[in-house]
Amino acid sequence: MLIEATALRKFFSLSGGRQVHAVDEVSLGIAEHEVVGLVGESGSGKTTFGKTLIGLHDKSGGEVRYRGELLPARYGAADFRKQASEIQMIFQDPYGSLNPRMTIFEIIAEGLAIREGRSLAALRDKVVYWLERVGLHADHLSRYPHEFSGGQRQRVGIARALIVEPKLLICDEPISALDVSVQAQVVQLLGELQASMGLSMLFIAHDLSMVRYVSNRMAVMYLGSLIELGPAEDLYFRPLHPYTQLLIASNPEPDPEHERQRQDQLISGEIPSPVDLKAHCRFAGRCPKAEARCFEERPALREVLPGRLVACHLL
Amino acid sequence: MSKQSFQLSAADFAPAPPATHAERIVRPSLSYWQDAWLRLKKNRRALSSLYLVIALLLFTLLGPWFWTQDYTLQDLDMISQGPSWGSAALVVEDPGAWEGVRGDALPLPQGQELGATTQLTVEGAATTQYVRLYWNAVPGAQHYLIYRNDHAPDSGQDLGLPLGETLRPEELSFADRLQLRPQTYWYTVIASDGLTEAASGTTLAVTTERAITTTQARERGLEATVGASVQLPAHPFGTDYLGRDVLARIMEGARVSLFIGIVAPLLFIAIGIVYGGICGYFGGTLDIVLMRIADFVIALPFLLFMILFRIGFGIGPGESGIFPMLLALVLLSWPSSARLVRGQILQIRGEAYVQAARMLGARSLYLIFRHLVPNVMGPILVTLTFAIPMAIFTEAFLSFIGMGVSPPTPSWGAMSNEGIRTMLSSPHELLFPAFFISLTVLAFNLLGDGLRDALDSRLRSRE
Repeated sequence: MLIEATALRKFFSLSGGRQVHAVDEVSLGIAEHEVVGLVGESGSGKTTFGKTLIGLHDKSGGEVRYRGELLPARYGAADFRKQASEIQMIFQDPYGSLNPRMTIFEIIAEGLAIREGRSLAALRDKVVYWLERVGLHADHLSRYPHEFSGGQRQRVGIARALIVEPKLLICDEPISALDVSVQAQVVQLLGELQASMGLSMLFIAHDLSMVRYVSNRMAVMYLGSLIELGPAEDLYFRPLHPYTQLLIASNPEPDPEHERQRQDQLISGEIPSPVDLKAHCRFAGRCPKAEARCFEERPALREVLPGRLVACHLL
Repeated sequence: MSKQSFQLSAADFAPAPPATHAERIVRPSLSYWQDAWLRLKKNRRALSSLYLVIALLLFTLLGPWFWTQDYTLQDLDMISQGPSWGSAALVVEDPGAWEGVRGDALPLPQGQELGATTQLTVEGAATTQYVRLYWNAVPGAQHYLIYRNDHAPDSGQDLGLPLGETLRPEELSFADRLQLRPQTYWYTVIASDGLTEAASGTTLAVTTERAITTTQARERGLEATVGASVQLPAHPFGTDYLGRDVLARIMEGARVSLFIGIVAPLLFIAIGIVYGGICGYFGGTLDIVLMRIADFVIALPFLLFMILFRIGFGIGPGESGIFPMLLALVLLSWPSSARLVRGQILQIRGEAYVQAARMLGARSLYLIFRHLVPNVMGPILVTLTFAIPMAIFTEAFLSFIGMGVSPPTPSWGAMSNEGIRTMLSSPHELLFPAFFISLTVLAFNLLGDGLRDALDSRLRSRE
C-alpha cells in the first residue's frame, strides 16, 4: 500500500464537551497506481477523512503510514513541505480554491515557486506545459480566476496540484460543483492524467455512477464509518450492505425505459446527527432489515466474499 | 410535397473541425484593483466625492502657499468683518496723544438757557482710525456730550446713548476711536451744565475713509508713509472675533483636522491589522485572551474616556493638544478594526486556496503576505475611508466642546466653537468652518460608500 490509514479518527469538539464523530475508526489503504472511490451522503465524513489522511486536519486517533512511514498526527509547515512532492489535493469548490488576487500563472507556479524558491519567470515554460496539458491555453496565463468558468477553474486546480508531480492525489468532490457536461470532461481528464503519470488517487464523491468509471475499488462511508469496500464494478452491480443497496437503487437511470421500471426505494429518515453516537450499527435506525442485535453491537468490517468487505451483522 | 428534393451525400457527414478551445476569453484581463477602479469610475457620486477629497487635500496642503496671510495676525480694526475682497486704505499717523482743542469756560449770562454748540468741525481727515472733533465753547456749559449715529437724527429724541463726554468745560474737542467703519456718521455735540443738557445741539455728518496707521502698515509690510494709499489684504471668508483672517484659519485648521482625521485611522487600523491578524492567524488561547482585551476597550465609554485622556495628559501652555488627542483616538478606536481583520483572516484562512498553499508547503510568512493580506486589503480600505470622517467629526466635536485642541491652534471644531458666540451678528464665523466639516465628512462617507460597492466581491461576476 502506498498510503494506509488504520483506525483513523477525527472528532470535532463542540461546546459543553460534546463531540462530533466525523471520522470514526476508518481503515483504508490505497495501493500504487490505484484509484479508490470514496462515496457517501453529505455529512458522512468522506471529505474529513480525506483531509485528515493528508494532514489538513489534526488526527484524533489512529495512524496513517505513507510508504510504511508514520505520518505526524499534527502537521506543521515543515511536514507539509516534506510531503508536498508526494501528496496533493484537488478541492471541491472551484471558486474558493483559487486566490482571486493571483493570476493563473502565479497560482499554477505556486508549488514550484515554494519548493524551489525560483523566480516565477523561470517557471514559465513548465507552467505553460501544464496549462496545455489540462486543456487550457498559454494566453490564459495572465488572467484572473474570476474570468474562468467552473470547469476551467477546476482544470487550473488540477494543474496546480500536479505540477509538483505527486504520487498521490486526493480529489475532494472535484466534479460536484460542475455542470453534468463538464463533469465528464473533468473526470476524463483526471483519468488520463492518472494513467499517464501512474498516480494513486482517492476520489471522493457522492455520485456513484461517475465514480465507478475512474475507480479500481470503491469505499462507502456512512456517518463516519466505512461500511463497504470492494472492486468498483462488483460493488456497484452487487452491493451487499443494505445502505449501499439503497444508495445505488436511489440513483436515477439515464434511460427513461429503465428509469420507469426502477423501484424507487427511499431511505427513510435523515442521516442522524454525528454527535455523541451510540455504540451500535450506525445505519440501524434507518435500515429496513435491522434486527435486535443491530441496536446492540457495532458490526466490524469483515471480508464477506473474496475482496468484498462489509460491516453488517446480517451477512 | 416531393420526397426527392432532399438528397444526402457522404460529404454531409464529415466530422466538424475540432474546436481549438471551447471558451475563448476576449475581454481584457483585469486585476482586482483595476476592476474596482473601473467600477468606482462608473459611480458618479463616488467619483465626484473622490475629486472633492483630492480638492480638500490640495486646499489644505497647497492653500497656504497661495494664501499667505498669517492665520495668527490679529487686526483689531477688522473684527468680525464679513467677507470682503480687500480695499484701499490711507496711511495715517499713529493716533498718539492728541491734546485736543481747549478754550475758556464761558460764564452763563443770567436768565439764558444753554445754547446749541456751534462751529462743530473735524480736524484733519476723518478716517477709520480716528475722527477728531472740536467746537466752540457754549456759555455756561460744564461739559459736553457727544453722540454718534448711523443716520441723520430727527431731533434730540433719537440720539440714543452718548458715545462719550468731556470732563471739563475747557475741553472743546473729542477723538472718536471706537470701531469706526468706512461710512457716514452723524455726530451731535450737546452742551450740559452738569445737571441738564441743552435743548439742542449741532449735528455734523462725517464720512470716514478706511485708513491704517503707520505702525500697522509697517507690521503688514506695507508702505508706511503718511498719506500713501495702500491695498489692505482681502478677507474672502471675513475675519473672526480677533480680526484674524477666517480663510487662513480654515486652511490651518484643515491641517489640524485632516491630520488627526487621517493619521489617527491609519495608526489604529495598522494596530488593528497586526493585532487582529495575530488573533486570527494563530487562534487558540492567545486569540481568546487578546480578543477579551479588545472587548474591554470597546466597552469603555468613548467620549468620557476621550475627555479623561485629555485631562489626564494636561495640556501645558503653548501646547496645541494635537498629540494627546491623536493618542486618545488611537487607544480607544483600534479594537473595532482588530475585530474586523480577525474575522476576515479567520474566514480566508479556511478558504481552499490557503489549504492548497499549505499542501504545497507554504510557510506562515508566505501565507500571510501572499494570500491573507491581499485578500483583506479591500475591506480594510473601506473601513479606513469610513474611519476618516468619524475621526474628523470626533476631533471637531471635542474641539467644539472645548476638549480638543487648545487655542490659538485653529481647528474646524474650535473655530465653530468661537463662531457660535457671534452667530447672530456675524454668522460667517460659524458657517465657514461648519460648512467645511460637513463637506469633508460627506465627501469621505460617499467615497467610502462607493469604494465598498466597488470592492465588494459579491458584485463581481463569478462566471
